[in-house]
Amino acid sequence: MSPNNALITGAALTPFNRRKDGSGFRDWAAQAFDAAISMAQIEPGDIDALFVASESDFFSMQLNPAAVLATELGLVGAAATRCEGGGASGQVAVHAAIDSIRSGMSRHVAVVGVDPSASCLAPQTIRTLYGFSFDAWTDGFSGVSSTGLYALSYQAFAAELQTTDADLASVTMQNRAHACENPGAHLPRQDRAHDIMESPAISSPYRRLHCSPLSDGAAVLIISNAAKAPKARAKAPRVAGIGAGTDHMHLGARPAPGFFTAKAKAMARACIQANIKPAEIGLAEIYDAYAGAQLQGLHALGLSQNPARDLRRGDFAKDGRCPVNLSGGLMGQGAPVGATGVGQTATIALQLEGRYHPKLQLEDLPRYALADTHGGICTLAATTLLERGG
Amino acid sequence: MMDYQLTLEYTLAPGWMKPYADGLFDGKAMARRCSDCQKISFPPTRICCRNPDGEWVALTGQATIDWHTDGMDGAFGLVTFDGADTRSVVRLESLTPNDTRGQLVAPKADTPQLILGKIRE
Repeated sequence: MSPNNALITGAALTPFNRRKDGSGFRDWAAQAFDAAISMAQIEPGDIDALFVASESDFFSMQLNPAAVLATELGLVGAAATRCEGGGASGQVAVHAAIDSIRSGMSRHVAVVGVDPSASCLAPQTIRTLYGFSFDAWTDGFSGVSSTGLYALSYQAFAAELQTTDADLASVTMQNRAHACENPGAHLPRQDRAHDIMESPAISSPYRRLHCSPLSDGAAVLIISNAAKAPKARAKAPRVAGIGAGTDHMHLGARPAPGFFTAKAKAMARACIQANIKPAEIGLAEIYDAYAGAQLQGLHALGLSQNPARDLRRGDFAKDGRCPVNLSGGLMGQGAPVGATGVGQTATIALQLEGRYHPKLQLEDLPRYALADTHGGICTLAATTLLERGG
Repeated sequence: MMDYQLTLEYTLAPGWMKPYADGLFDGKAMARRCSDCQKISFPPTRICCRNPDGEWVALTGQATIDWHTDGMDGAFGLVTFDGADTRSVVRLESLTPNDTRGQLVAPKADTPQLILGKIRE
């Protein structure tokens, strides 16, 4: 059994958007770090290790960003590691940081997720690079985009689960409506179904408004050994369970290409560790790179056997049985890739403390909350379960 | 804010996938048959049945289109090549959404690409 001694004592996100103010990724990392360490009520010298999530040097033009950020954040002397797992880089870093606490190696650790994913490179360059985030020798050179692979996988899922374009629109409108109440969101939009259907076709059935944007921004967590946490932070949310898993890198090699089996594995492992069932989860941030991916995620995570039906009856709305993506998700809040998973976990931690954006804060705090992140076409999945402190 | 341009020139080696990559340049589908279960993977998978032993087999290159997607980057399909036990993601060229079959064609560019075109009469 893993010890249950890791507390999320600090959590902060910068706004996610496209920066035009001359600020850089070091500024965003520092801004989120200062807020998180202030919340944790510890000093930089208390931090034994830094875990940096940054998906690619292509974005930042900075190899070895962990060492650079250790200096920038006043953590010289601390251990520093950069973590990468594609779109799941942030959650992979969260897991590495939790392992460091649980193993007894560290008293307090900082997880910094950051990427200048919006402002750094031309859109066509980004699309080309992302093509190589699947198998370069098959999908990459053939020129299939991320959206193309997700579109193929979603179609296989939709045929099995009977989801429709109306369901894609519902996910899109719900996530973006939540984003309208999140002052740090990249795409707070009030689109209607016909706006979505008239947005440019990217890769059928996906149109531009079904897609998450790439953003600039940072998110930071401070994770502490419960025995070392300041008394004032003793009731911070606890890490109940973590789990990760992979699927075959080739979509075509999967017996059921519509199902996110890596996510199901990650979730099963996290639930076993937490000793809970998916039905006990009362809040979830789900990796909605595309509208259909949210439906596929709900299914794989065991939060719904019939995501379209449960979506229509409001199960995932703010007043539903398991509110999903109150932040706006990737589709609404945005996605600075390395910051995404860290930001999802920061979001549920803040919710469990009643410290989230007021219009999105749940009044009845759930006991368990889930942060779900993946990379590739759900090729690498990482799931974190937090339990309300108290 | 400043602009900065970086040009990268890679030299890439396909390693154990060389027969597959070379095949693509010639428009041939070179697949991998597992020596244990005899299942054929295309694109080839190095390990099947926890076993890296296998042999290269040439498929006919004809495939059935199971799913397709059209968009700004072109058309792509999730297809099953005749004789293969796995599906492949391929670029679809000169095929309409009504086409259900196609044939692997050699790429015009100097990179190994999975491209499905019209079946040669």
